[in-house]
Amino acid sequence: MASTLEYSSTSFPFPRRYAFPPFFTLQPNSNTRAVQLQRWSNLIQSWCRHHRIYKISLVEAIESPLFRNAELRKQLSLSDARTVLDWMSKADEEGGGGRRAEWVDGANKGMAWIWWRRPEEWAGVIAEWVENTGQKNVVLTVYELLEGDATISQEWHGMDPEVMFKSLNILVKQGKAQVFGSEGQEGVKFF
Amino acid sequence: MASRRGVGLGAFANRTQASQSYANHGATLRSTHTSSLQTQLSVFQSLLHTFALEHSSTIKSNPTFRAEFARMCNVIGVDPLAASNVKGKNGRKGLGDNGSFWTQIMGGDMNDFYFEVAVRVVELCRETRSENGGLLGVEECRKRVGKGKAIGSGLEVTDDDVLRAVKSLEPLGSGFSIILVGSKQYIRSIPKELNTDQATVLEVIQILGYVSISMLQVNLHWEKARAQTVIDDLLADGLVWVDLQCPEKEYWSPQNLLGDDDEG
Repeated sequence: MASTLEYSSTSFPFPRRYAFPPFFTLQPNSNTRAVQLQRWSNLIQSWCRHHRIYKISLVEAIESPLFRNAELRKQLSLSDARTVLDWMSKADEEGGGGRRAEWVDGANKGMAWIWWRRPEEWAGVIAEWVENTGQKNVVLTVYELLEGDATISQEWHGMDPEVMFKSLNILVKQGKAQVFGSEGQEGVKFF
Repeated sequence: MASRRGVGLGAFANRTQASQSYANHGATLRSTHTSSLQTQLSVFQSLLHTFALEHSSTIKSNPTFRAEFARMCNVIGVDPLAASNVKGKNGRKGLGDNGSFWTQIMGGDMNDFYFEVAVRVVELCRETRSENGGLLGVEECRKRVGKGKAIGSGLEVTDDDVLRAVKSLEPLGSGFSIILVGSKQYIRSIPKELNTDQATVLEVIQILGYVSISMLQVNLHWEKARAQTVIDDLLADGLVWVDLQCPEKEYWSPQNLLGDDDEG
């Protein structure tokens, strides 16, 4: 997985609250904090989407411009960032942020998927693309899907293969696709 | 007329007679006054009516003109938004029975306009309430409403329109009010008063950008406990945000965060 640091120079349009110093301190007031968590979640998602990041390592991320405003010299602390991701990983019903994040390493909480699109959502996007391009019943390799010329214009182009497999698996469960072949050589057929 | 004080029993009759005469005379005077006032008012209202009709398109399209017109109406005690001011009072039905002044003159457009602004203001206050503690700058609100999606692009509103819209919510018991902090007007969407100390601190933040306890002690000569209490209250109401990453805690107002696009 690419480090988030190398993306620091590209121009991401930060929201205005990124220049608001208290934004980097989790607020004690619960109402305020609820909004703040949502704002952080939005920021993390749009940042990851902008840079096509699917998974972040917390330790690296807190040194990246996402969590650290070098100009203001403010930074979301490691534990606060963890709180934000924890909140994001919970469902709306649990008072969380709609499962927009997921810990990769369980209780360690060092590495997290950032679901600016959840695998179900990706599955839908891919299925729609298959439909629109008339590729039902055509066998494609997963590599083609990810890196092929045909998908250059698609948002998932170059995606983390793991996310692709998670998404394809959802289609498989829905009976809309079949994945076969050995590791590294997978093919997929859509119905 | 009884010009001197009567003595004996006859005085009672005299006095009754006198007070009756006074009452009669008073009533005559009053009715003369009323009728002359009524004439003046009706002349004035018809003039105002003509004026409004003549300039209706300008009133609708030009926010400055609209504000001036509304101010003029205000000065002479015609509240354009309140229907009851035109009908009902004094038993006069100068401009018809139904609808407010605006409705009669502009065919409803004007009322709709203010109600639409009011709806946007309410929406905006609700959206931002947990972020700013229910205190929204009129100016910020106006900017946002001006480019609001619901109203359609290119519609200019002035601060005055926003204030008027908020006022139009009053009969609903909405709890929306306008408060003045320093020289800046705010819409308060939570029915909770700011005390003097809180207002003072917010004013200081307006000027300095943020405050800390020691800044309050130095600038306002407050005891530490007093400054701490005010800040704690503001923080608990969500009116300020705290920044812990400084040598001393800093407290900022979230007022400028409005307008950030957070969709997605």
